[in-house]
Amino acid sequence: MNDMRKIERDVDMNDVKISAKGVQVYYGTTHAIKDVDVLIQDKTVTAFIGPSGCGKSTFLRCLNRMNDTIDICRVTGDIRIDGDDIYDKRVDPVQLRAKVGMVFQKPNPFPKSIYDNVAYGPRIHGMAKNKADLDEIVERALRRGAIWDEVKDRLDAPGTGLSGGQQQRLCIARAVATEPEVLLMDEPCSALDPIATGQVEELIDELRNDYSVVIVTHSMQQAARVSQKTAFFHLGNLVEYGETGQIFTNPQDPRTESYISGKIG
Amino acid sequence: MPLSWIVLTVLAIAAAGYVLGRGRALQSAGGDSRKLHSLPSYYGTNVAMKVIVPSLLILLVWLLVQPIVVSRAVVANVPENVVASGSSMGLFMSDVRRVADGLDAAVAQGSLTRKEAFDIRTEFTNVTQRINEAGVALGSAVTPETLRAAQEFRTLNRIGSIAMSVVVALAALGGIAFGLRESVAGFRARNVVEGGVRLLLIGAASIAILTTVGIVLSLIFNTIEFFRIYPAADFFLSLTWQPSFGGGSSLGIWPLLWGTLYISLIALAVAVPIGLFAAIYLSEYASKPVRAIAKPALEILAGIPTIVYGLFALLTVGPILMVVFGDDGVGWMRSATSVMTAGLVMGIMLIPFVSSLSDDIINSVPQAMRDGSYGLGATKSETIRQVILPAALPGIVGAILLAASRAIGETMIVVLGAGAAARLSLNPFEAMTTITAKIVSQLTGDSDFNSPEALVAFALGMTLFVITLGLNVFALYIVRKYREQYE
Repeated sequence: MNDMRKIERDVDMNDVKISAKGVQVYYGTTHAIKDVDVLIQDKTVTAFIGPSGCGKSTFLRCLNRMNDTIDICRVTGDIRIDGDDIYDKRVDPVQLRAKVGMVFQKPNPFPKSIYDNVAYGPRIHGMAKNKADLDEIVERALRRGAIWDEVKDRLDAPGTGLSGGQQQRLCIARAVATEPEVLLMDEPCSALDPIATGQVEELIDELRNDYSVVIVTHSMQQAARVSQKTAFFHLGNLVEYGETGQIFTNPQDPRTESYISGKIG
Repeated sequence: MPLSWIVLTVLAIAAAGYVLGRGRALQSAGGDSRKLHSLPSYYGTNVAMKVIVPSLLILLVWLLVQPIVVSRAVVANVPENVVASGSSMGLFMSDVRRVADGLDAAVAQGSLTRKEAFDIRTEFTNVTQRINEAGVALGSAVTPETLRAAQEFRTLNRIGSIAMSVVVALAALGGIAFGLRESVAGFRARNVVEGGVRLLLIGAASIAILTTVGIVLSLIFNTIEFFRIYPAADFFLSLTWQPSFGGGSSLGIWPLLWGTLYISLIALAVAVPIGLFAAIYLSEYASKPVRAIAKPALEILAGIPTIVYGLFALLTVGPILMVVFGDDGVGWMRSATSVMTAGLVMGIMLIPFVSSLSDDIINSVPQAMRDGSYGLGATKSETIRQVILPAALPGIVGAILLAASRAIGETMIVVLGAGAAARLSLNPFEAMTTITAKIVSQLTGDSDFNSPEALVAFALGMTLFVITLGLNVFALYIVRKYREQYE
């Protein structure tokens, strides 16, 4: 299993999707992220792990400028997607977020029908020329979210009426519908039961074929199961970043080792 | 003994009971408060409660019952023939009461001694004059029968109040004795006081509810009375409102109902967009310092008395509208008082209602909704229009309905701003009037209270009550349904 992954990885090795250099984040006077450098590859699942409050979610939210919606948050440093600085003045954060989709910790379907939830992004970005086009986009997204078979007969039912796992897959379908290049997932399974978690993990593995996926997780088993690369954050620092297999079997930093073996965190 | 002295005595006994009860409980525990079941102050409070509650209850009941009993006794002793034809026992008794009051007042002022007042005779003294001198106006000269009845009235009242003082004092003393006997270490004073607090709160709540029931009942009975002397079909179906106090008036509700709804509609057309947009700005766009100033500033509008809004309508808004729409301008408006004047000003009054409630509701939409929308690349206004407002809609509808019931019940702005003419017209620049304004005009002035022209006020009030109650129930239903969705 691990060897197969290795071969796959070699193919994509040079393909850097996101490069971050010297990223600092401040919440008011609190220094939340301290000088983080990371290179995230295309068509790869990258997991961010670390104890609560270590800054992994904050760093994730820098990648689509969601931190802009928080008044007291200040980001410095250089973050590039495909070589373009996303904090450049000419970049419209709204456009950027269409390119970098995000799935949140708690499933947050809008209080609309299942169809309208998925059609929301394509509609605001004018991706469909007509109704038939939109229907097709919605169906494709729901299929990619692995939820099409469950909801195809009740697309008009409210999205809030689905079960937790279905809601989260609906949110993933909603994020996929805008055809992003990068998918950010902030603890997408923390509100789900093991069965729903398994379905979402399977889905993440499939999504890797088309997207660069970055996932924040508290579960180290999950990181080991779904990711190829793992970054360990501690107290705002990126402690260690490398192949998932290597991080979990042969960590270089003593802090990583004690976290993985359950001594800190 | 005057009433205030009785109450003060009871309170003094209660205070003494507090101190004694506390002391006795402590003493029974050998001075060690840890051996008591409750804190010492609970034992004191228990004794004070046992003093105050029964004695003040007795006092209250006595004060309600004594006048009835005394009147009955006096009436029973009055011979039938003294009541003049065309008069009634009620009128005779009110004379008796006034004479008795006059004699009491004369004694209090010192113009008569107690004994003189008791022995006074119409045959020897001009009683009428003496009483008038004491400051109590009498309608007619005092007859011997009236005086005799008044003396009996005074005697019975004196006996009654002395007996009351004694009984209340005995109840207070009995209470203190009972309470003190209980004040020993094992007694659960804390639980008893807790029960007392509970009863106090239940009492407060039931007074509020009973008052509401009383108001509704009085409305209902008077409305029934009205429909007994005026056909209900005319009231609900007639399209004219022409009360004439000489009789033969036409009391159709439609012109008033139309005026009410028309003015409310204009008010809401002003208040809902402005209030809602203000709420959206405050909750989504405004920075913290702006919000800290703007929100209270907007809520000051809600604190302005409606009569001030009425003056604003009469003196400022009306004349301004006159310049544009009056004879010098477009020519639609004949006087400064109009539906439009009142509606605009009422709308301004309602802005803080709509904005403040909507602001709270928009704020309670979970942040996850906003994040989800921003995360998909939506702008702020797209997020508000397509996600936040639909999510907050039930609550906003509730806020609007509450504002509507406020608008329907508003009086002062209408009286000053809309005029007093009841008419059915579509022109918003004509004077019209509303149900509430007409209730005021029907009940003020020298009209016979039993005429349909006066009693119609209750039927109008009842209609208004039913409308606003319906709106409020509907609003609460919607707000509650909304709450279930997110908690």
